[in-house]
Amino acid sequence: MKTYLGIDVGSLTTKLALLDQDNRLLTAVYLRTQGKPVAMIQEGLEQIRDQMPYGADICGVATTGSARYLAGVVTDADLVKNEITSQAFGAIHYVPDAQTVIEIGGQDSKIIIIRDGVVIDFGMNTVCAAGTGSFLDHQASRLNINIEDFGQQALQSKTPVRIAGRCTVFAESDMIHKQQMGHKTDDILYGLCQALVRNFINNVALGKEILPPVVFQGGVAFNAGIVKAFEESLSTQVIVPPHHEVLGAIGVALVAREEIEASGNMTKFRGFSISQANYHTSSFECKACPNVCEIAQLSLDGKVLARWGGRCDLWERASTG
Amino acid sequence: MNFLTAMTKVGIPRALLYYQYYPMWRTFFEELGVETVLSTPTTKAMVNSGCSRMVAETCLPVKVFCGHALSLVDKCDYMFIPAIRSMGKRAYNCSKFLGLPDMMKAVIPECPLILDMDIDVTNGKRTLYQNIYSLGRHFTWNPAKVKKAAEKAWECHLAYYQQMFSQGLTPTQAIDEIFSEKGVGVDQETANSSLTLTVAVVGHPYLIYDDYINHRLIHRLQTMGARVLTPEMVDEEVLDVAMTKLVGNPRWTYEVDVIGAGGYYLEVKVDGVIGVIAFGCGPDSVMMDMVYRKAKRLKAIPFMCLTLDEHTADAGLVTRLEAFLDMVKRRRREQTCV
Repeated sequence: MKTYLGIDVGSLTTKLALLDQDNRLLTAVYLRTQGKPVAMIQEGLEQIRDQMPYGADICGVATTGSARYLAGVVTDADLVKNEITSQAFGAIHYVPDAQTVIEIGGQDSKIIIIRDGVVIDFGMNTVCAAGTGSFLDHQASRLNINIEDFGQQALQSKTPVRIAGRCTVFAESDMIHKQQMGHKTDDILYGLCQALVRNFINNVALGKEILPPVVFQGGVAFNAGIVKAFEESLSTQVIVPPHHEVLGAIGVALVAREEIEASGNMTKFRGFSISQANYHTSSFECKACPNVCEIAQLSLDGKVLARWGGRCDLWERASTG
Repeated sequence: MNFLTAMTKVGIPRALLYYQYYPMWRTFFEELGVETVLSTPTTKAMVNSGCSRMVAETCLPVKVFCGHALSLVDKCDYMFIPAIRSMGKRAYNCSKFLGLPDMMKAVIPECPLILDMDIDVTNGKRTLYQNIYSLGRHFTWNPAKVKKAAEKAWECHLAYYQQMFSQGLTPTQAIDEIFSEKGVGVDQETANSSLTLTVAVVGHPYLIYDDYINHRLIHRLQTMGARVLTPEMVDEEVLDVAMTKLVGNPRWTYEVDVIGAGGYYLEVKVDGVIGVIAFGCGPDSVMMDMVYRKAKRLKAIPFMCLTLDEHTADAGLVTRLEAFLDMVKRRRREQTCV
């Protein structure tokens, strides 16, 4: 059986998805990255191997997410794809007539505008973290609430409080103020959901034409409070597709299949043995010019596989050539 | 001043208006027998030193300018920082350009004498000529010599723009062509022949040609397979027409770089347009929005706006560029299928 593997290494979580030749999801893995992307890729591959049906043959591997280049080198992937394209592919796979895709992850949030199955516009958050998963994570831990219970508890709210969501720092002081005034935690939680949605609509989605069907994916789509806040704000139904948390990995597996079938190449995938391999990452400062770039390098058994992070190609060329 | 032992040196920071006027300025000073010293391309050290001296509210390009000026402090006898106020009727420059010499005087007390010069063409030719003479008078008492230098400088300026427009060179390449024997035009052509997509990058030259602050935007686009067009590659009159069509008379000097070029490229057959603005730039935020609205109205050509500041990480920039080119390719494939 021909299968295609997609790996999405994000800032907070690492996702792997294995698709069969009919684009059905065979198995998926969802792990916390914990700041150790290479170890988590190895861990994820091991789990995929254990869950893989008998006779499955990996014909293509592609990576996406903020650590996509690192993941691409570790696995010798056939393709390294950006998150926007991958998420759009994933969304269209489950909701073929989708016109708007909202994706909120740990460190970034995006909106993708699709018309007739083609991406026509997109927006990403800038350096600001207000409106991302880590904002909710942070505030939940401040209120001593499990992030998993956040959504259900927010739905209990009857009179949500208004919290300034422009900036996480202001949101936090606003929240403390509301707490001290005696507002209920449920109301504060839903207020936070509304603040995040308001921030998303006013920043990331600024000037974009949001038409239904609206698809909401990424880790934050687990949070029922945010889904409700989006529905209220956009006054339309918001679809949370199945496997929404691994859609980036599914999407990039679909892109890998398309590319492999178009080119007819064999996969370059290193094989599952890499889950036992001894990868080592390190970094140093380049002294070649006054820019003093921080160069990161990945090596396998003492042999350098790749270097990156410089403002010029000096080290990238040195490692490949 | 040791006129006898060494030539007088005038420092020119490689930032802001350098990309528009460097050949003119350098020719003017050299005709007067003065050597010009140019700062090196932007480095991390310059950005850091500039940011530490300027107030936080100024935009990144002005901070970078300050860093360039600081790097020249002990390398020259004078520093040339003109204040370009207006280049056309009822259009004025951003206040940070108007106050540039004074700002530098305030934040770089150790700076050598700043050759400050007001350029406001709305005050008439007479005032402009007087200002040029007073600039020249630092080096010669002979008005005829200043006149000749100014004429030579103007010729050089016209030739510079002609070269960029007719050969499709970027300012950096055209400056190399004018002042050194390095031939760059040819290999550019062969490099471009394998590129399948055409992407226009619009914005002020100090953003789109400063490889440090834009994280080698043009180079990245080229390595991803796109041929890059910029505002300087179009005749100025064509850009003026495109600008008038979109907003009427300009309010800002150099508005044509953004609105004119944006409006023009959205109507010709390019595959995508990328606008580049500096975070915190008032005029640009309004101007780029006009281009974005036009792109939305036309719905024909994908448009993306990139905002640069000193915190811009290249990861976010690369993701946006890759996604943009993917979008452009897939849209084109779709259109050819239909």
